[in-house]
Amino acid sequence: MAVHGPELVGRRFSSQRTCIASAQSIKIFAEAIGADSRFTPPTFLISFSVAAAEEFLPALGFDWSRVVHGDQRFLHHRDIRPDEHLTYSSEIESYKNLAGNEFVSIRTDFYSVESADLVSATWSTLVFRGEQS
Amino acid sequence: MSWEVGHEFAEQIYSINRAKLKSYADASGDQNPIHQDETFARSVGLPNVIAHGMYTMALAGEAVRSWVGSERSVIEFSARFAKPVIVPKGEDVAISFSGKVAEVAGDQVTIEVIAMCGGIKVLNQTKVRVRL
Repeated sequence: MAVHGPELVGRRFSSQRTCIASAQSIKIFAEAIGADSRFTPPTFLISFSVAAAEEFLPALGFDWSRVVHGDQRFLHHRDIRPDEHLTYSSEIESYKNLAGNEFVSIRTDFYSVESADLVSATWSTLVFRGEQS
Repeated sequence: MSWEVGHEFAEQIYSINRAKLKSYADASGDQNPIHQDETFARSVGLPNVIAHGMYTMALAGEAVRSWVGSERSVIEFSARFAKPVIVPKGEDVAISFSGKVAEVAGDQVTIEVIAMCGGIKVLNQTKVRVRL
């Protein structure tokens, strides 16, 4: 298992990709949770947040097969527009190793490609379970 | 619409099952087998298939929108995943959500949500800030 330390805190990752909050994917997500599909569910961005983390954490030696979700926060500066294209960048905000379990908190900022404003920020704490747990 | 601090909303109960976990997995892209495959879930030390924590959180958001109106903008939403929601094969599992107004500031209200499943609190520190 890779050994990590507090030097991870502050590392930033800007993805070259964009994600698309397509009207269709919003509708499918809303229907899966029994929501009114005319409005974007407030947790819709989660798949993009997790995908953003998966773009860089495995390369740092984090074993994606041992990940569980510790906590989650969303801050929406405005509602997402259907079919909006978003760019995103992430930063590791905290790292802790507690009894072999690694707690990594990542903030990801989502910007609109069309209007260049910050649409939402998300915070995810991912827990990578140690071999003994 | 206005509420005072301490106002309690009517409990909302949502029922989930294996088929709904599959729908959520497809919609969210989270295909981790612990949420669909009982043999795999048990092999990694879980008691059975468990729901995605984010599915439970999404339902908490839905409970809030049932209280305040789906058209309201959720500004901030946070939760900690405390205990797994266990979903045995062939069963419908009920998750109940109760909510209370914790803070009112201008046109924004913060609601604290309690999510319970089988007598166990499954989310901790669940707060939703909504613009009215």
